Amino acid sequence: MLPAAAYAQVAADSVAVKDTAAIKDSSVKKELAGRQLVIGADIILPVRSYFETQRKGYEFHADYYLHGEIYLAAEAGWGSSEVDYTDLKYKTSNEFVRLGFNKVLLPRENPTDWGGIMLGMRLGAASIHRNPVVYTVIDSLWGNSGGALGARQFAGYWFEINAGVRVELAKGLLAGWMVRGKFLLNNKDFKDLAPLYVAGYGRGDKNSVFDINFYLSYAIRWKR
Amino acid sequence: MISRRNKDNKIVSLHGLTGFVVLCLYFAIASCTQERQPCLTPKTASLNLVCVHYPADSTPSATSMKDTALPKALFGALTANGAQYVYYKNISSNFTLSLSPDADSCSWVVSPDSLAHPLDTLNFYYQRKLQFLSNACGYTYFYSLSAVHTTHNNIDSVLITNPSVTNDANTKQLKIFIHPN
Repeated sequence: MLPAAAYAQVAADSVAVKDTAAIKDSSVKKELAGRQLVIGADIILPVRSYFETQRKGYEFHADYYLHGEIYLAAEAGWGSSEVDYTDLKYKTSNEFVRLGFNKVLLPRENPTDWGGIMLGMRLGAASIHRNPVVYTVIDSLWGNSGGALGARQFAGYWFEINAGVRVELAKGLLAGWMVRGKFLLNNKDFKDLAPLYVAGYGRGDKNSVFDINFYLSYAIRWKR
Repeated sequence: MISRRNKDNKIVSLHGLTGFVVLCLYFAIASCTQERQPCLTPKTASLNLVCVHYPADSTPSATSMKDTALPKALFGALTANGAQYVYYKNISSNFTLSLSPDADSCSWVVSPDSLAHPLDTLNFYYQRKLQFLSNACGYTYFYSLSAVHTTHNNIDSVLITNPSVTNDANTKQLKIFIHPN
């Protein structure tokens, strides 16, 4: 006969063994999911850039599957804007990068499922160059007055909350959209002239911007 | 359902694909409008003033001061192209002027009643500050009042209550004290 303490120890060992098995099952499941690197581009921005004269933008993205349905995500691109109004004329150009992560909300049915609904966060930064500005202050009583401001180089920083969907159209070929809520962090730097368009962010004269991207991507997968 | 697999284990995602294409087309077409956004804020800085007086039988103090409604006020901006007059047909004690963006001073003439003469001249002295409003509205000038001089036909004195002249129409910058009689 075993004493009561010995039974308790056996029971505890049993629980521990079950826990270890659960952890092993979990890790096996993650291994089955494999690794994935997705590279793609926004397919709407080139269309808009072709038809629009005021703003142009191009964007590429990549994400890498870590574990637990969490992906490291990065986007980068460039763009420009041109304002040619009667009382305001200037051009800007910028490059940008966004870094953050995505989390797929729904658990996958099997390890080869790579689509899903995603939530994510990003930190964005842009290097903006503004050409000289020509302005006219319209005053019907005293008469118009005008002037020019010199070129300027400055940076923009913003925070994003994202939500989107990605589906697999064919093996390795992914399509998806992502809605972005963007919040400018250094709006004081935009006060003397907020660019009409900052590629990667949107309208420079708004402290918060909602935007959407449509991506077509290709996935490279390999085993863990 | 975003995607599913058929019996050949091939991925089928017709709902997702259709929605994706429709959304792409919609945003591609919708985004091609290039019209300038409407300007929804005042583009001209307004100098808002109120006319007041002390009753002849009272000692001047903050509590004895009363608004003076001018019966048919006349204001005239002395511009490079001559005087530009504004007639107020209705009785009022609150008026709005603008300052010249071309210089650091400007003058207005004022009469409390369009029939009363002679006019008083208000000379405004200020610093200009170029102000970006938005891409929709462009630039304008805001001002910082440093002094206001006046003649004394109908006006007793003037008081700058707020030197900052912006496009905020609700802030009063000037009190004009009219002779009580």
